Order: sequence, then structure tokens, then C-alpha cells
Amino acid sequence: MSDKLEVLLLDDEPIVGKRLKPALSKNGCEVEVFQDPKKALERIGQKEFDIVVTDIRMDEIDGMQILEHVRDKSSRTKVIMITGYAMMSLAREAMEKGAFDFIAKPFQPNDLRKVIAKAAEALGSPVDFDIPAADGV
Amino acid sequence: MTSKKASDSSDQASASTTLDRHFSRIKAIDSARQAFLSRRRFSLRLQIYLGFFLIFIFVLSIATALIITMYQVEDRLQFLEIINGYAMEIQQARRFEKNFFLYGTNLNDALENVYKAKEIFDSNSEEVISILGKDTENVALANIERYKGLLERLAELRQDQASRPDFEREKKKIELELRRHGHEMVSSAHELMNRERYYVSKALLRSRYIHLFSLVFLIIFLASYAYFLGSRIMNHIKRFAEYAQRIAAGDFTPLMPMQRFRDEFTDVALAINQMILELEKRGGVLIQSHKMRAVGTLTSGVAHELNNPLNNITITAHMLLEDYEELPDEERKDMISDLISEADRSKKIISNLLDFTRESSSQLEPLKLDHLLEKTIRLASNQIKLSGIKIEFQSSENLPRIHGDIQQLEQVFLNLILNAIDASSKGGKIQVMVLPADEPNYLAVKVIDFGAGIPEHILPSIFDPFFTTKIKGKGTGLGLSVSQGIITKHGGRIRVSSAEGSGTTFTVTLPVTTIPSAVSTGKEKSSHF
Repeated sequence: MSDKLEVLLLDDEPIVGKRLKPALSKNGCEVEVFQDPKKALERIGQKEFDIVVTDIRMDEIDGMQILEHVRDKSSRTKVIMITGYAMMSLAREAMEKGAFDFIAKPFQPNDLRKVIAKAAEALGSPVDFDIPAADGV
Repeated sequence: MTSKKASDSSDQASASTTLDRHFSRIKAIDSARQAFLSRRRFSLRLQIYLGFFLIFIFVLSIATALIITMYQVEDRLQFLEIINGYAMEIQQARRFEKNFFLYGTNLNDALENVYKAKEIFDSNSEEVISILGKDTENVALANIERYKGLLERLAELRQDQASRPDFEREKKKIELELRRHGHEMVSSAHELMNRERYYVSKALLRSRYIHLFSLVFLIIFLASYAYFLGSRIMNHIKRFAEYAQRIAAGDFTPLMPMQRFRDEFTDVALAINQMILELEKRGGVLIQSHKMRAVGTLTSGVAHELNNPLNNITITAHMLLEDYEELPDEERKDMISDLISEADRSKKIISNLLDFTRESSSQLEPLKLDHLLEKTIRLASNQIKLSGIKIEFQSSENLPRIHGDIQQLEQVFLNLILNAIDASSKGGKIQVMVLPADEPNYLAVKVIDFGAGIPEHILPSIFDPFFTTKIKGKGTGLGLSVSQGIITKHGGRIRVSSAEGSGTTFTVTLPVTTIPSAVSTGKEKSSHF
């Protein structure tokens, strides 16, 4: 096992994975990106990730089901939920079901980095995220 | 800038058509008013007065007839008394006359009775003339004179008895004549009496008939009068009850005159037409405010859906900024084109809603129902996604167009779809279908959900205004009532069938425009908007 944080990123919006994968890789994460929840579930069945980041609202299988799956499989894996702004009640429900944290759309790459850093710390393998200070936004 | 101008001008256009519509309605109501007032007035009050006046005239004539009959009877009775007195005197005279011929006595008494009889005749000559007429009176008088003359001759003869050798013979001659004539007089007096008795009884019979017939006639007249007056009022009331139902169902066609006269109910009809104008104005406001409510519901879906492109833009822009120096040109271009397409996507998400939100004018045009429904489903798509529900749309091919107001119909179908979303549980399904209706020249739109269904006992009231099963603050209870109003105005119908536990189907039928008559009725309807 490498000492890199293994992250699974699931969002049915392709741009999210496309842009966040390099963003997180820069900080020493090994990122696997999925758009299809079914394929993501398959992968989760094969491999224990350190961190799973998933959108809550997707067609067919939603983030809550992903969360339950991960919880069933591994108690170690931290699950971070991505929610729409209008779905705070769902986020709260996810927290009750054992999600590590949630992050509301629209978010900046640094917001996600911070949450992942927190999760890494909780996992006992803190990463030194060199979060670029002021990026002007 | 240009687009804003364009939307401004379209708003102006819509405002002017709204005004046109309102003016045409005012004109329709004004012409209805003129039609109402151009008729001759025959008020209920007049009918009541006329009825009572006729009854009064009738009763007056009956009373007059009875009084006249009574006077006549009285006259006849009086005359009968006279004739009776006369007959008695004559009879007495004849008795004395007989005595004279038997015993040679009482001749003077007989004469006295004749004088009395004549006096009765003379002193009552007026009545006698009035009843018997001059001729009959003359005859009667002549008879008395003759009888009197014979008696007087007999008296003379008796005085000159000694000097007259032919006394017995002469006496016999007079006796014969006297007897015959006296008999005639008595029998004519009796005949007269009988005749008068007959007249009296006839007059009495007549008065009895007048009583009887006038009573029967009065009953018939009063019954038919009550019937006509009652049915006139009842017809009005029934008619107005129908109007009230029609107006409540959203048909704002002005009332038109239905009878040849105008009366008190004409004032009511005019007031109702005025009310229709006001109701329509308020109905427009209601439709608009209900639409804004639907917009409110849609906004949460839009806001949520908007988060996706916004998130993509945020992430992409940040990464572009962060890695600008290291990124190859191609990657940068890709990122920028992502930014543009995501911005475009944002615009699309809100443009449907903005389209729908724009203040609508009631503009009637030929519409393709399937296109309209696709557009409506797109409008509700965010909400559908948010609720985790699938929507299936089916449409028969080559359907004829319908004639209608795109904004208002969209509002109706959106309302039905949003209701179906509310009724469905997560993971559920909604079916929307456009197909020819069972009725010829009508199209049907079915919105079907597979939710809990509507309990049978509230099914009849779901179209009532302010009826809602939603929790306080979530629904106004106006959606279906407003929808029904809109569909009725389009000449269509909206129906519901529901089975508890297995779902609800709303069916909207609308007339098509291909058949000329349907077009004309559509146009006719359109003038009532």
C-alpha cells in the first residue's frame, strides 16, 4: 500500500472529476473518479478507499445508498457528501448515518481540500496540504 | 441590451392584448346591456297589479250583475203583488156578479171591486208599463173598461127595469157577455201571474248561476294567474341558478336577454354582467398569482439544478487560476470552453422559468399539445429530478392542433404535473399522455401518478376553491380550481379518476381546431376571454 491517500470521487457531473482529480493529485492523493454510481459501487467492493467523496443526488443510485454501502464495507473509510445548497436536511441525515462531513455545491477546490485534510487527520495520516493561500477569489 | 428591449416590447404587446381583451369584454357586456334595455318593459309588479285589477273588474261586474238581478227580482215581486191584488179584485167582482145573477144582489159590490181593480192598475201604471209594456197595459185597461162598462150597463138596466119590457132578454145578453169576458179577464190575470212567477224564478236561477259560475271562473282565473306568475318567477330563479353555476365554472359569457320583455330580473342580469366583468378581472389576477406560486415551487428545483453548472464553473475557474502557468494551451482552452458551456447551461436552466414567469397576456393561437407538454415537462424537470421521480411522456402522432393560450395551458399542465410529483413517492413514476379523446374533435391529456390516490369522499370537492389536503402554508387549494377555470374557458373539461392506493389520473380534454365548426366555437369562446 502506498502512503498516498486513496480517494474515490463520485459525481455524475463529468467536469467535477475532470478538474478535481488533478487538483487533489497535486496534494498527494491517489484519486479515482467515477460518474456512474454503479461502477463506483463495484470499485468500492473491490478496494478499501481512505476517503469516498460522493454527490448525494444522482439518478438511480444516490449518495445515501453509496454511504450505506461504504459503511457496511469498512468503518475506516471516511465518506464526504456533496450536497446541493437546497438539501441541507439530506446532509444532516447523512451525518446521522455516519458521513464524515459534507460540502455544499458550489464549492471551491480548496474547500474540498480542507475537508479531505480533516479526514486524513482523523484517519491518523495527516497530509500536508499546501493549500495555495489567497487565490484571488 | 437589445434582448431587454425586445422583451420590453413584447411585454407592451402583451399588455395591449390584455387591454384589447378587456375592452372587447366590456363591449360585449355593453351590447348585452343594450339588448336587455331595448325590450318593452313588463315588470313583475305590473303583472301583479294587472292581475289584481282584472280580478277587481271581474268581481265588480259580478256584483253589478247580481245587484241588477236582485232589483229585477224585486220589481217582478212587486208587480206580482200588484197583479195578485188585481186578480183578487176581479175574482171578487166575479163572485158578486154571480150573486147578482143568482139572487139579484151585490151588483154594486161587484162594481166597487172593479173600480178597485182599475185603481190598482192606474196607481201602479208606471210599474205595469215598465214590465208589461204600453200595449199590454192598454189591452188590460181596455178589458177592465169593458167589464166595468158591462156592469154599469147592467146597473142601468136594473134601474130602468120597470120601463123596459125586454129587461130579461137584455139581462141575459149582458150576462152571457159578462161571464165570457170576466172569465177571460181572470184567466189573463192568472196567466200574467204565472208568467211573472216564471220570470222571478228564472231571475233567481240566473243569480244562482252567476254565483256558481263566477266562483268557478274566479278559481280557474286565480289558479292560472298564480301559475303564470309563479312560473315566471320560478323560471327566472332557475335560470339565474344556472347562470351562477356556469359563472362559477369559469364561463364568463355575458348574460343575454332570454324573453321578450324586461322586468325586475333584467336589473339582476345587468348587475350579474357587471359582476362578470369584475370577476374576470379578479380571475386574471388569481391566475397570475397562482402562476407565481407555481414559479415559487419551481424555483427550488431551479436553484438546486443551477448549483451543478455553478459548481463546475467555480471549480474550473479556480483550477484555471491555480495552474494557469503549468497548463498546456489546449487544456486552458478546454477549461475556458467548459466555462462557456456551463454558463450556457445555467442560462438554459433559468430561461424556461423566466419564460413562464413573464406576465402573460391571453393570446389565443393554434397550438401543438405535444410540444406544449414537452415544454411543460422541461419546465418541471428540475423538480422531477429533485424528487427522484421518473416521468414518461407519450404522444399519438399527427395530432391536430388545438386553439388556446399557451401560457395558461402550460400553467394548467404544470399544476397537474407538480401535483402528481407531490402525490408520488421517491422512485415513483408519472405518465403524461396526449391522445385523441373519446369524444370526436377533442384531444385528451392524461397526467397519471401511481401515488396513494384521492379518497373517494373528497374526490367531489377537489376542484372547489380553497380545498386542499396539503399542510398549512404548502398549498392554497386554488390550483385545480384555477386550472378548471382556464380549461372551461378553452371549451374543454378536466376530470379526475382515482383509485385509493393505486394512483390518480387527471384527464384534460380540449377541442381541436381542424374542424371549421370547432374553430368558430373556439373563436366565439375567445371573445369571452
